[in-house]
Amino acid sequence: MLEVRLFATLREGREKVYFLEAEKYKVPADILDELKIPHEEVAITLINGRHSKLDTSLKDGDLVAIFPPVGGG
Amino acid sequence: MEERFIRQTVLPQVGTSGQEKIEKAVVTVIGAGGLGCPVLTYLVEAGVQQIRIIDCDVVGLSNLNRQFLHTTQDINKPKVQSAAEKLQQLNPQVRLELIDQRLTVENMAELIGAPDVVVDCLDSIAVRLLVGEYCLRYDIPLVEGGIKGFYGWVTTINRKTPCLACLGYHAEMEETEIPVLGTTAGVIGSLQANECLKLILGAGTPLTGRMLHYDGLSGSIDEIALQINPNCPVHSKLC
Ligand SMILES: [Zn+2]
Repeated sequence: MLEVRLFATLREGREKVYFLEAEKYKVPADILDELKIPHEEVAITLINGRHSKLDTSLKDGDLVAIFPPVGGG
Repeated sequence: MEERFIRQTVLPQVGTSGQEKIEKAVVTVIGAGGLGCPVLTYLVEAGVQQIRIIDCDVVGLSNLNRQFLHTTQDINKPKVQSAAEKLQQLNPQVRLELIDQRLTVENMAELIGAPDVVVDCLDSIAVRLLVGEYCLRYDIPLVEGGIKGFYGWVTTINRKTPCLACLGYHAEMEETEIPVLGTTAGVIGSLQANECLKLILGAGTPLTGRMLHYDGLSGSIDEIALQINPNCPVHSKLC
């Protein structure tokens, strides 16, 4: 199982957290496609709190956090 | 004990010695806008006396939905000056150093100096990254916060904990005219001020190695644990 946590505007029209079958999603890009998140809306992807790319390999039990840019002050 | 601070000095985490720490602390606040207004207000009200404020902007009408230290009468006034006028009234003992200049790689050391804490209230990812690099190099604790719309985040950074570059923030993520509700800036700026006071007091658990995420639409706060990226361009230069 993968735990996927969406942050900020990526939650709008979606859930905050998804639990997905690990077998079906090889890399974070597969998750974005499943959740219909345009890749260009994503600024930061973390796997277990560590920076990852959209093509970094996922494994069962991973926690994937996905953020859009939130840099205002 | 000064009556002004009595409601906080009665706290076991503050007390007389904590109040002394607050009054002796030196803080640099970068940005006197949406986040800077609550940060500066709460630091001054808590009794921080030495604050350097860096902001090269002037007050504009579209700032006034959130930047409560600035008023309609302050339009076109330098933000550092406008903020300082109100902060001096909040606590006349405060000693403010006003820096009305744009931060660059070259002037970073001169402008930020060597404070006890830096609170980053910038709206530019590119400059945030430069500030992060400076603070890590000189081992200055840094409180970061960012906002957009109804959402925001806060994290505290030092050499041993993940920085924004670790997470994959890079200069090309720059956005301008970022939409934001005033209350979001108020919440995140208040959390940044709270982090800064905790660092000064040595109280509680800092937001290091984790990011607090505020969702004003659902009315919830989450936290995500963060890890240092072994390939971080900033951290990899430190050792
Ligand atoms: Zn780093």
